[in-house]
Amino acid sequence: MTSGRQRRRVVPDFMAAAKLAVPEQINVERTTLVYVAPEVVSDALDPPGVHLVNLLKEGPLSVYECAAHLGLPYCVVRLLVAGLAASGTLLTRDPPRAEGPDLEILELVLSGLRAL
Amino acid sequence: MASALSESRISVDHIPVKLIIAGPFGVGKTTMVSALSEIKPLNTEEVLTQAGTLVDDLTGVNEKTTTTTAIDFGRLTLPGVVLYLFGAPGQTRFQVLWEELARGALGVLVLADTRRIDDSFAVLDLVENAGIRYAVAVNHFPDSPDYPDEALRQALDLDPRTPLLVCDARDPASARASLIALVEHIKELMVS
Ligand SMILES: Nc1nc2c(ncn2[C@@H]2O[C@H](COP(=O)(O)OP(=O)(O)O)[C@@H](O)[C@H]2O)c(=O)[nH]1
Ligand SMILES: [Mg+2]
Repeated sequence: MTSGRQRRRVVPDFMAAAKLAVPEQINVERTTLVYVAPEVVSDALDPPGVHLVNLLKEGPLSVYECAAHLGLPYCVVRLLVAGLAASGTLLTRDPPRAEGPDLEILELVLSGLRAL
Repeated sequence: MASALSESRISVDHIPVKLIIAGPFGVGKTTMVSALSEIKPLNTEEVLTQAGTLVDDLTGVNEKTTTTTAIDFGRLTLPGVVLYLFGAPGQTRFQVLWEELARGALGVLVLADTRRIDDSFAVLDLVENAGIRYAVAVNHFPDSPDYPDEALRQALDLDPRTPLLVCDARDPASARASLIALVEHIKELMVS
């Protein structure tokens, strides 16, 4: 269902109460790739942080995928990732350039699709 | 969730590429994202205010004045690149969401249904307002009327260069062929 729908509790209470440490400057987007920094101890994290770190133990995921797996809206997971990246728990890799892919990337997409 | 978690992860050195599959309700967006995706398609929620702006902090997220919309999300890894596929809704009240999705995106495949051509007008407006390149693919249903290309182009007010394709959103080969046509079109626009 793609049409908007009303829902009272978009964010669970534990999450709203977690008082996320959110940096001023947020460079996290839907397709930012997220992974766990080496030697991270997740014991000191709030529950949503622990869920996210556990989810990422098997390897990198985009922010959008993290949100879907955690069952939280994108806007919430974006802040969660930004906070954990600022504290050094998570590492991120940039989303596509704002001006879109260049010709070289386009060729990779074309040859990849044709080879499938 | 357990099976989704064990699905292969992305390598950090694959270049991310965003692609949007758009269209009115019931046109086949979820179907096409599923046909193309290497992972079980996911659903991520976007939170908007009633006024249509995106909520980007936690203040007020749980309030009655917000509304959510689910976006289909799929992934397709190719040598050197990873395609992120967004199945996005086509109502004009999602303008702000569209502007964000469009940022950095390669292009949009607009799905149309010839039984309800008018339903595609809003999507085309959104795509054109977002200034993003696109192709149109008619998702063919058994009871779809067959119109001549020229009539469809005129009804949709398409530029003569904009690709107009017919596809079967359920068929991965057909879905891929539509993406290839879109990317070839964008390449032509870039080199010309
Ligand atoms: N016959 C036929 N049915 C389709 C095709 N694509 C989608 N459908 C069906 O149409 C319905 C709506 O498709 P869906 O992907 O959910 O549309 P969405 O609202 O745009 O996400 C589903 O029941 C699909 O199985 C197609 O190419 N041919
Ligand atoms: Mg759908």
